[in-house]
Amino acid sequence: MQPIVQIENLTKEFKGKRAVDNVSFTLEPGEIVAILGPNGAGKSTTILMMLGLLKPSSGEAKLFQADPGSRAVHERIGVMLQQVSLMDALKVKELLALFQSYYPNPLSMEKLVELTGMTTEELNKRTEKLSGGQKRRVGFALALAGNPDLLFFDEPTVGMDSSARKQFWLTVKELAAQGKTILFSTHYLQEADDIASRIILFKQGKVIADGSPMELKQSLLRQSISFKVNETTNKEVLMSLQDVLAVLEDQGRFTVMTENPDHVLRKLFELDMKLEEVAIEKGRLEDAFEQLTVEQEVS
Amino acid sequence: MSMLLREFKVEVIRIFRNPYFIFWSLLMPIVFYVIFTKVVNQGMENQAEWNALFLMSIAAFSVMGSAIMTLGIRMVQEKSEGWTTLLQVTPLPASYYFISKMVGQSAVHIFSIGIIFLSGFLINGVTMPIGEWILCGLWILLGSAPFLAMGLLVGTMKKVDTASGVSNVFYLLLAITGGLWMPMEVLPKLIQTIGMWLPAFHYGNGAWAIVRGDSPEIKNVLILVMYLLLFMVLSVYSRRKQEVV
Repeated sequence: MQPIVQIENLTKEFKGKRAVDNVSFTLEPGEIVAILGPNGAGKSTTILMMLGLLKPSSGEAKLFQADPGSRAVHERIGVMLQQVSLMDALKVKELLALFQSYYPNPLSMEKLVELTGMTTEELNKRTEKLSGGQKRRVGFALALAGNPDLLFFDEPTVGMDSSARKQFWLTVKELAAQGKTILFSTHYLQEADDIASRIILFKQGKVIADGSPMELKQSLLRQSISFKVNETTNKEVLMSLQDVLAVLEDQGRFTVMTENPDHVLRKLFELDMKLEEVAIEKGRLEDAFEQLTVEQEVS
Repeated sequence: MSMLLREFKVEVIRIFRNPYFIFWSLLMPIVFYVIFTKVVNQGMENQAEWNALFLMSIAAFSVMGSAIMTLGIRMVQEKSEGWTTLLQVTPLPASYYFISKMVGQSAVHIFSIGIIFLSGFLINGVTMPIGEWILCGLWILLGSAPFLAMGLLVGTMKKVDTASGVSNVFYLLLAITGGLWMPMEVLPKLIQTIGMWLPAFHYGNGAWAIVRGDSPEIKNVLILVMYLLLFMVLSVYSRRKQEVV
């Protein structure tokens, strides 16, 4: 199957500072993908470039093997941007009808109401009289209006209360079950873990991990023991130890990857090797996750 | 085509639902008209002609204002709030956005002109041959093109406050120096000289000529066309410059 989204070496510089640094990934149809990362990690910038709203400094983004700015692409995507803004002086249902008219095969009004849980009262309200949460819901409906194959949500649940959040994700899962591809950004670890089938972890403009939530959690547990040994050591000997996942060698320094450093360390000493400059390091993912957790405690 | 038509309809609906439009483009000009024909300037030599001439000034004043302000400020607002960004990822062609806004605005102007002409008839019994009414209306409608282009230029500004401040000042200055509030002849010589090179006087003058039974001067048309081109070029240039991100 052809990938729906293809991103190659996407880079964006603002005044010499790299907001997005050489990012590449592809999305297959039916995936629910979370772009996870702390604020300022380059999530929104990446999404804006994928949508053709921002010109990359270098690299390329393609949707459905085409330029993201083309009309053919626009007919197949639905977007909810971080800041939801609605045309004023219109009733919600008038605005929805206008958006439906933009697309060749729009969803029916009944379907939109059903998916987003809007009330009749809300449909008849002028957009400028809606609360923040209601506006988000209309923004969601606008994204769905064209019955898109690919949906983009940039920090969709910011400003939603917990019940709105629940309803939103329930609908997203339903849409994914219908075969739609969904890409959303979030800085909530929990959300990415609960909803996404795949997490792309961003840190300082770079992708530092990409995989299923399960895989990511596993590699999070992974730690490394590094040391120098005087006598010549066989890599195979180290590999054969229980719980060792990988062994790297760099200028006489060995790095042993494991989920169980205590055990491996014990085994190393049992082998009676003369270890020097021993260091135990946490996985590099941990840093990123810690940053996420700290941020959530603050906010 | 149906997409453009719907977009146009929505723009018209939105303008009519805007209380500022009703106040500034309809109510204010009519109040002005009453003040300058019923309260001030009473008992003039040729009161009937003054009533008709000033009706044209006030209609031009109304249309000019809504062309510059309603159009421009609304565009800035939609851009700064991010609505325009969302539209960019829908299949709606960008040109439809501009066309429907300008055509919608013009359609509303037909309504404004009608209401103001009607109030001239009701308030002061202004009468003219039907052909002249229509010609005056057409002149005011078509002659508003440079001001719509000016609205587009205002629409490229970044902040709503700047846009509304700047366009208000330009609007009032243009109206005064163009003789739309009081006749050119009573203004200081210097202002008259400057005003002769600005679009508002030529806009009003075409309609005044028709009321007097003449036709608009070539110079009126040329100057309005020149300003139309100038504002179009400036707004396209300014939009291009902003696009390169």
